[in-house]
Amino acid sequence: MAIAIKLLDAKAPSGPLESRWTRHKDQLKLVSPTNKRKYTILVVGTGLAGASAAASLAELGYNVKAFCIQDSPRRAHSIAAQGGINAAKNYRNDGDSVWRLFYDTIKGGDFRARESNVYRLAELSLNIIDQCVAQGVPFAREYGGLLDTRSFGGALVERTFYARGQTGQQLLLGAYSAMMRQVDAGRVTLYPRREMLDLVVINGQARGIVCRNLVTGELEPYVGDAVVLCTGGYGNAYFLATYAKNSNATAIWRCHKRGAFFANPCFVQIHPTCIPATGDYQSKLTLMSESLRNDGRVWVPTKKGDTRPPNEIPQDERDYFLERKYPTYGNLVPRDIASRAVKAVCDEGRGVGATGRAVYLDFSDTIREKGIDYIKEKYGNLFEMYQHITGEDPYKVPMRIYPAVHYTMGGLWVDYNLMSTIPGLFVLGEANFSDHGANRLGASALMQGLADGYFIIPYTIGDYFANTTLPKVSTEHSAFKDSLADVHRFLTKLLSIKGNKTVLEFHRELGMILWDYVGMARNAQGLQIAIEKIRRLREEFWNNLKVPGDANMLNKNLEMAGRVADFLELAELMAIDALHREESCGAHFREEYQTPDGEALRNDEKFCYVAAWEYTGDLSKPELHKEPLVFEFVKPTVRSYK
Amino acid sequence: MAAWPRSSVAKKFLNAIAGIGLFLFVVVHLLENLLLLTGNPDDYNRWAHFLESFGVGLRIVEIGLAAFFIAHIWSSLLVYWDKVKARPQGYRVYRTAGGTSRQTLSSRTMIYTGLVLLAFVIWHVITFRFGPYYPIMVDGVEMRDLHRLVVEVFNEPINVVLYVGVMVFLGLHLRHGFWSALQSLGAYHPRWTPLWYSGGVLIAGALAVGFVVIPLWVYLYL
Amino acid sequence: MAKKMTLHLRIWRQPNPHTPGKFVTYTIRDVSSDMSLLDLLDVLNEELIKKGEQPVEFDNDCREGICGMCGFLVNGVAHGPKRGRTACQQYLRDFKDGETITLEPFRAKAFPVIKDLVVDRSALDRIMAAGGYISVNTGSAPDANSIPIPKDIAEQAFDAAACIGCGACVAACPNASASLFVGAKIAHLALLPQGQPERIRRVLRMVEQMDKEGFGDCSNHGECEAVCPKNISIKHIAIMRREYLRALFCS
Repeated sequence: MAIAIKLLDAKAPSGPLESRWTRHKDQLKLVSPTNKRKYTILVVGTGLAGASAAASLAELGYNVKAFCIQDSPRRAHSIAAQGGINAAKNYRNDGDSVWRLFYDTIKGGDFRARESNVYRLAELSLNIIDQCVAQGVPFAREYGGLLDTRSFGGALVERTFYARGQTGQQLLLGAYSAMMRQVDAGRVTLYPRREMLDLVVINGQARGIVCRNLVTGELEPYVGDAVVLCTGGYGNAYFLATYAKNSNATAIWRCHKRGAFFANPCFVQIHPTCIPATGDYQSKLTLMSESLRNDGRVWVPTKKGDTRPPNEIPQDERDYFLERKYPTYGNLVPRDIASRAVKAVCDEGRGVGATGRAVYLDFSDTIREKGIDYIKEKYGNLFEMYQHITGEDPYKVPMRIYPAVHYTMGGLWVDYNLMSTIPGLFVLGEANFSDHGANRLGASALMQGLADGYFIIPYTIGDYFANTTLPKVSTEHSAFKDSLADVHRFLTKLLSIKGNKTVLEFHRELGMILWDYVGMARNAQGLQIAIEKIRRLREEFWNNLKVPGDANMLNKNLEMAGRVADFLELAELMAIDALHREESCGAHFREEYQTPDGEALRNDEKFCYVAAWEYTGDLSKPELHKEPLVFEFVKPTVRSYK
Repeated sequence: MAAWPRSSVAKKFLNAIAGIGLFLFVVVHLLENLLLLTGNPDDYNRWAHFLESFGVGLRIVEIGLAAFFIAHIWSSLLVYWDKVKARPQGYRVYRTAGGTSRQTLSSRTMIYTGLVLLAFVIWHVITFRFGPYYPIMVDGVEMRDLHRLVVEVFNEPINVVLYVGVMVFLGLHLRHGFWSALQSLGAYHPRWTPLWYSGGVLIAGALAVGFVVIPLWVYLYL
Repeated sequence: MAKKMTLHLRIWRQPNPHTPGKFVTYTIRDVSSDMSLLDLLDVLNEELIKKGEQPVEFDNDCREGICGMCGFLVNGVAHGPKRGRTACQQYLRDFKDGETITLEPFRAKAFPVIKDLVVDRSALDRIMAAGGYISVNTGSAPDANSIPIPKDIAEQAFDAAACIGCGACVAACPNASASLFVGAKIAHLALLPQGQPERIRRVLRMVEQMDKEGFGDCSNHGECEAVCPKNISIKHIAIMRREYLRALFCS
């Protein structure tokens, strides 16, 4: 692999960290209210980032077209976030501050994120809570009527605001309602059941998208002055993940192929507490919120192959391995660390359940101490969900949990203004790579999505418009015609293979490859095998795929086929990125680079940079660009939670 | 909001208020008719005459009552019509989920039991209100002998059977109607609503039984 | 413990909105009782594709009961036999071996069938656009703790806000009324101090839009509450009516 190195400019401001965002905002150019009406912004995706961006931009006076893949914008997968949202409000007087949230986040990300971005995120966390409360989000409260908080992984303060176990739902409904208000005002036009299949770039500027109307199958071109991509992460590449079934990488991948750089694709978060898979028919895993680790204790039997029911195993034959290995943070270590610890005990043969790929998450101590009502109030719906899925009562027997793919820190590269390497293409939320480095802390995804949508893009997009000449274009432009033809060709090709294997089979196979070789632990040999296997699978896909029906109707298999085709390409880039990053950091654990006691060994000398990959036309030969990460305010240290 | 009287919520207000009015009328009417059971025909006639003595006042009450009927019927027909329009293609397989559902035979047949009651009310008014005038002297005053008319009507077995049958429909109608009217007016309380809901059965049952007793009594003993 | 089952699925098949549909029965053998109902449909679809037939289209997304995208009638009950759950949270262990399970799309004039079990529920979004929000522009919010809200009020508001917009209430209602959906949103916002300024306008406009979409009127059957995957009480319909009464007298 030939790696040419070009340096990227993040346009991050300099000077004192505390005032960077304020000064940057002051320097951004503005668009006058009358002129705002002349701009059309295409917002793709209506999760926390998309809905908040669409609402905020429309409030400013821009014309917004909002696209979503589901039948209603309220269904975006942000809705499934359970535990909470971080904010450095310090309502508890427990020593929290913007600085601490910033530090925890950058440390949690194992020093692979931009200082300026993360500090801004911590700063904006304050405004987010205010905004959401004003919208009527029913956060949990104390008897005095003020907001309640709880603790989450990777932090020693209680800064996580929550709404029972449905925080994401309530925040999304807040953003959705703000957007619907703009629909009513005529400033946002909704396009549900549309899938973005291409980005239209004219004169080097993002000027439109091509969507497939998922009901009629029609290909629809849309012109805009900027495109705001809020389409989430690509974790469904692993097939089994906690993502929604429709979550996919197609929008970001097609933009990548049109010139947007893809940053740190190998940084994939594997969440420690998910309900383990029970059979190969399963196509989706369900997360059990990290908040459960506040009151649940993780353990396995000390003996290998101990098949006694959990309540018959005496205390001295239980290994509370997180508490043992990390006495300071205990069960609340960050996700990457917890996941690897779980994998390690299962690899030792001490896993529990029918498959041996699970550990106990036990609430009996808390139930004894604080009573069952305490648990019911805090986690009632999670316990119910667990019981629905497994048929077991977690009030009586410990939950069985195992790690699963949950979030992707990687994504399209963006500068401080959230603009990708294609001018006019902005990327928000999980779809970008910006704030979480190599590992995201719990309750930070909601924070980032909303910070990007409510408080960053409204400022930075104006600066782009004010500094840019945008010639008038229409869908008659040849670039639109070419793009429509490309998409049409792609869909026709998928339908014309008429092979023997279904999309689901290919997807499952791809997922196995990624889980085995690009999962919780990786090594050079495995990654090379993965690259080989992915290439072979991709070839087979294009020769042996069977898609029923045609393109002129609602055809979910055709939709899935397109998405899996893109995952098959992205997967190779993930493996290439993982192979090139010869260090362990955050969620990226290379077995060759670890300390004697099995902890991640970073290499700041060589890899303290963002790896942003450019599509060259050859999937196997992407071009690497580096954005060096400079730490002026925090000193990258060995991340210790012991 | 000029359209509010046609809104789905307002329709139910009207329906509920008229329904409650009719319910109160039915209660009073039952109490009046229990006078048939006193053993002295004069009691019944004296009461009827007392009411008649209000003259214009009674006419106004009658018109008011008719207005309640019309409002109740009109709003019910609108609700029914909206229901028909709202699901042009019905389910092949449909059943209630049980649990806390209040869907019952009673709730599902409101329009039919209501229409039966309407037909009955028309018959009832023609037969009694506009029926033959038999004069009688009570306490030295000439008045209408309604008691005789009632006895005549309910000595026809067919009338007794019809009447008793209709009262079953009345019970069914009130079983859902009673609590539903309160709910339609927004009166929900976590503790009281279950009481109203269960109490509806008792009240509907009591009224139906009360009305059933009268023709049977008349037929058997008078 | 998981056991093997054979099930017959009687599914409504309708190629598009303009062609009449019909029931088709399929048999699936040797499936695990640990499977979810949607897993079963996945397995069926794989078999159908292999046989060169059209797979059954059904909406689904999160598959954990929160997005509200899935939903159809299972043996005549919206979402299926287990209460307080969505269709994706129904498991085969709650059906009998050898049982015939009938799947039929949500039916209402306001929810036209798109294909098979997929229906168009955009009417619910239009009702939300008519007032299901608090008008607060980004950036203009006061500090979050400046408005204390009693814990029980916040809890009650949450009970209403838990609605996932799946439309099961409409589907199960003998009148195809959307009152529970609308009532839940009106109650959520009316209970909170933030929702007060727009209280009157909100209830009048949302009810007006609900009626315009062609939903039926609420006859208090309470079936909506019984099928609601979030157990939302018809108390919220009563609250909507109180709000409406209040609006009539106050406007």
